[in-house]
Amino acid sequence: MASIEETPLEARPAPESYEPGSEADFERLYRNSYRRILGTLITLVRDRATAEDCAQETYERAYRHWKDWRPNASAEAWLHRIAINVAISDRRYQRLRQAGEVVRRLGRPAPGPDPSVVAERSDVLKAMKKLPPKQAAALVLRHYHGYSNREIASALGVPEQTVASRLAAARKQLQAVLGQRS
Amino acid sequence: MSDLEHDLENELRRVLDPLAAAPIPPRRAPGRRVSARAVLGGAGAALSIKLLTGVAVAAAAVTLAGAATTGSINPADWGKQVSEQVEACKAALAAGQHGIGDCVSDFANQHGQAVASDARHHGNGGGGSSNAHGNNPNANDHAKDKTKGGHNTQTKGSATSQDPTDPSTHPAVTPPTKP
Repeated sequence: MASIEETPLEARPAPESYEPGSEADFERLYRNSYRRILGTLITLVRDRATAEDCAQETYERAYRHWKDWRPNASAEAWLHRIAINVAISDRRYQRLRQAGEVVRRLGRPAPGPDPSVVAERSDVLKAMKKLPPKQAAALVLRHYHGYSNREIASALGVPEQTVASRLAAARKQLQAVLGQRS
Repeated sequence: MSDLEHDLENELRRVLDPLAAAPIPPRRAPGRRVSARAVLGGAGAALSIKLLTGVAVAAAAVTLAGAATTGSINPADWGKQVSEQVEACKAALAAGQHGIGDCVSDFANQHGQAVASDARHHGNGGGGSSNAHGNNPNANDHAKDKTKGGHNTQTKGSATSQDPTDPSTHPAVTPPTKP
């Protein structure tokens, strides 16, 4: 991975071309983009196992609409858009599950933390998971994948100005959360 | 670049870069499973939460209405009172005497009237609540119906026992005389 300053947009390799509806091209897209989609999802959902599950669901949804995809937009940006929606659905589902767990566990001691979850978490990641998914996604697309605001806008399907304000709000909230801890 | 952005990039690299070395799993076959997340995650989650809240509020309202009507949150209280009354009626019967229906019916009527007057006092809403509680109005109405039924049966019986052609019940009609 390279930061935006180190790798300007024009220096990055041109995106691969894919033919909509082609089985072989979808498999190639999966191989080329899986790790980056998983990386984004890890910052949005609670743990790696959930992120892997969400990544598979992202490709399932994408596969269902693969014939309708238009090559005028980046395939990976399109996948990111689907992945963010899957992550939002997952957060809602987890909230519902947690409510059920609380009812089931009433009066019993709370279970200890899952070691596999703890190992993956850092303060920054924990803080990012508390952000609204679209803000967190904007941060990871910008600061890890090196997308420009225009590319993020294309991925999320929103105007560039919205991306700029989401990034500003996300940074402010992240700073507040991290500042409280230090 | 600010310190925060620098820290953020470093942290994301530290956590996410190891993913590059991880093997890519085979793609899941589409339509292999129906995810609970798909059902509950999207609009379904919001709908489920609203539905659960609605059920909980309705249950609480019914319980409170029942408690306000009977003075107890236990819906079995009225049944218990009736059982006790049946035993008391049996005990009150003289030796060789049969039939406790009137005795129990009196008790049911008294209770029904008390609840009905209470419902009138509180307005129409109270009646609906006490019905939902399933406590007494049904039993009471049932008792009233029985009474009504009894009357009807008797009326019908007395009507049918009379011969429509019996001159004692039908006075003779004299034809009008022509001028």
